Amino acid sequence: MRLTRVGAFAVIALVAFSACSSTPQGGGGNTIKIGTELPMSGAETANGEPTANGVKLAIKQSNAKKEITGYTLDINVQDDAVNGAHDPQQGATNMHTLVADTSVAGVVGPFNSSVAQSEIPISNAGGLLQCSPANTNTGLTYPPDALQYRPNNPTKINYIRLAAPDSIQGPAGADYVFNDLKAKTVYILDDTETFGVGVGDSFAAQFKKDGGTITKRDSAPKSTTDYTPLFTAAAAAKPDAVYLAGTTPTGMGLALKQARTVAGFETIPFMGPDGVADLGPGGTTGATITVAGAAAHDVHGTVAGIHDLPSGSTFVADYTAEFGKAPGAYSAIAYACAQVIIAGIKSAVAAGKTDPAALREAVRANSVAAGNKFDTVIGPVSFDKNGDITTPYMSFYKTDLTANGGKGGWVYVKQQAFTDPNAS
Amino acid sequence: MRTDRTRALRTVAIVAGLLVVSFVILGVQQFQNFLTLGAIYALVALGYTMVYGIIELINFAHGDVFMVGAFVSMWIMTVPLGLADRPINDPIQLTVVLLAVVIGTMVVMGLIGVIIERFAYRPLRHAPRLAPLITAIGVSFILQNIIQAIFSSSPIAVPQIFPRVKLDLLGGSIGVLNIFMVLVALLLMVALQLFVGRTRLGRAMRATAQDREAAELMGVDINQTIAITFFIAAALAGSAGVIQGLYFGSIQFNLGFFAGLFAFTAAVLGGIGNTTGAAVGGFIIAFIAVLAAQLGYSRWSEVAIFTVLILVLVFRPSGLLGQALGERA
Repeated sequence: MRLTRVGAFAVIALVAFSACSSTPQGGGGNTIKIGTELPMSGAETANGEPTANGVKLAIKQSNAKKEITGYTLDINVQDDAVNGAHDPQQGATNMHTLVADTSVAGVVGPFNSSVAQSEIPISNAGGLLQCSPANTNTGLTYPPDALQYRPNNPTKINYIRLAAPDSIQGPAGADYVFNDLKAKTVYILDDTETFGVGVGDSFAAQFKKDGGTITKRDSAPKSTTDYTPLFTAAAAAKPDAVYLAGTTPTGMGLALKQARTVAGFETIPFMGPDGVADLGPGGTTGATITVAGAAAHDVHGTVAGIHDLPSGSTFVADYTAEFGKAPGAYSAIAYACAQVIIAGIKSAVAAGKTDPAALREAVRANSVAAGNKFDTVIGPVSFDKNGDITTPYMSFYKTDLTANGGKGGWVYVKQQAFTDPNAS
Repeated sequence: MRTDRTRALRTVAIVAGLLVVSFVILGVQQFQNFLTLGAIYALVALGYTMVYGIIELINFAHGDVFMVGAFVSMWIMTVPLGLADRPINDPIQLTVVLLAVVIGTMVVMGLIGVIIERFAYRPLRHAPRLAPLITAIGVSFILQNIIQAIFSSSPIAVPQIFPRVKLDLLGGSIGVLNIFMVLVALLLMVALQLFVGRTRLGRAMRATAQDREAAELMGVDINQTIAITFFIAAALAGSAGVIQGLYFGSIQFNLGFFAGLFAFTAAVLGGIGNTTGAAVGGFIIAFIAVLAAQLGYSRWSEVAIFTVLILVLVFRPSGLLGQALGERA
């Protein structure tokens, strides 16, 4: 009898306690979350995991400094990889989940442009800010294409990115092939996806402008298993180099591996965007080298972000201490995205905008407000009227099969600053 | 006897005609790609057609059996044989290794095929036709998920043990690996024809296909015959898996889906239930795929393949080499 009464009291106390702590206006111990929406499994692990770790580190360090008075930051991790490759449908589902979680104030991600296309309309309707560290498709931010992703609130920019768009990545690759690799004729293969076709188009336009020739352009969907007939047909024109416009999970690694067995493609250089230069932490192997093996020699690639962090940065040391390995190509950029969101949360909380809807709107408006500059791990950044970074960077890498104890890896070649064509 | 000979002659004439036409259209280099790809599709299509012939089941798990075969061959190469990702240049050593891999994979896959039949299809043999079909789709998911659980969802590299030596033949440069693949496929197809046509077990298979009850009354062990059919079908898919890994170099747990769909199309194209038809169908599918790539329309190759399938189903429902319904295998 007595035991039952004690039990009942305990239950009541527990209910009362949990009811108290779930009230957002309560005292200390309240949580505001930053979402991550990245591909975290399969061949994409090397893309998503180090990127999400960048966000985790930013949250941990911000909490340690108690940047947001009265609130603790937390993370809501979503994975958009299905069967080992990013999936726009899964991305849309994840974005609904993040919009429904009222404690999420902003999202870092997605990683892939095709996923962004299906997500932005959902986050736009929910008034939720997305900051992508890696999306490069030009139309995601540039009007008029970008307007179709904001049917609900066309004037509210809720999608910003720190990666340089393909209108910079494609041409940067073209200049590199023409000037640095000294190739005058190029064969282009794309994977039929949003990203691949876009970057292939902008590569081709710039390469022709440089004075080069595109010998042939093919498109092969990711269900393709046999690329040899494509390369056999392309060999007739004897190209000096190949541009693989796509990503390794959508077939470019396999295409590279098979191309090396076709006469005319055994030794020539291959170039690809960041979907091919999928360097893992510290320039390690990545899926392209894993899939292509010995065929991955003489492969060059661009990464749409900065390589050298501002001098005096402790980011690499902090990251390595936290996760036991070197950061990935997009870790620091994701950290910077989280910093932009945290800065927005900080000013919103200081202004008393802690209601979920008001908080989201304040974070969104703060990131794209004209004249706002954010001091981040990759240097000071700001966004133009479309949501693009005003100081885009491009880094160049090439494969070295003797690196990492013979497992192969990517070595840094150079980085280049560009001017934002839309800077106002 | 005479109709048999006419049929055989007609088949040979069709095959020879197709080969000459495709050689002229594609040129020597793409002709080589076409034969290699066709060999893989044909080997997988044979399994579809044999299983359909004997128990009228479209075994939708067959594409995944092929995928498992590719993983088993990769496992045999890397774990028991401990091979590295480099060519074996000693011809004797290479022959021994290839024999071990091909035979090992075929035996393992044959046993897996028998197990699938015993536990997934035999209990449903007298159930409505839809039940085993749905079960087959279930088996397909089970196989994919087992492989994904063991080997992850990333693409896995297969050791490239076959030296990429090329010979100058017919005015082009032909890979020895390609010749090896096509020869293995042809050898297995001829062996299958002889087995079905000339042996006691083959006769039991044909009898079971024609009339299961009558065959049983004549003393044919139905369960054993069907199990053998599944063994052979899965072993052939396993051999296709070996050459898939050797040639393409990278395998993934979901590669069976499209391969299975193409092979099924090939089997229907040739006349499902007809083994020669399945082989011819496999080469036709490969021809379309390679031609599309040659002409620069590779993104349309799937559309073209399935359009051909629909046209055949509309105008010649029993397939190119199919008989009037009622006679199978």
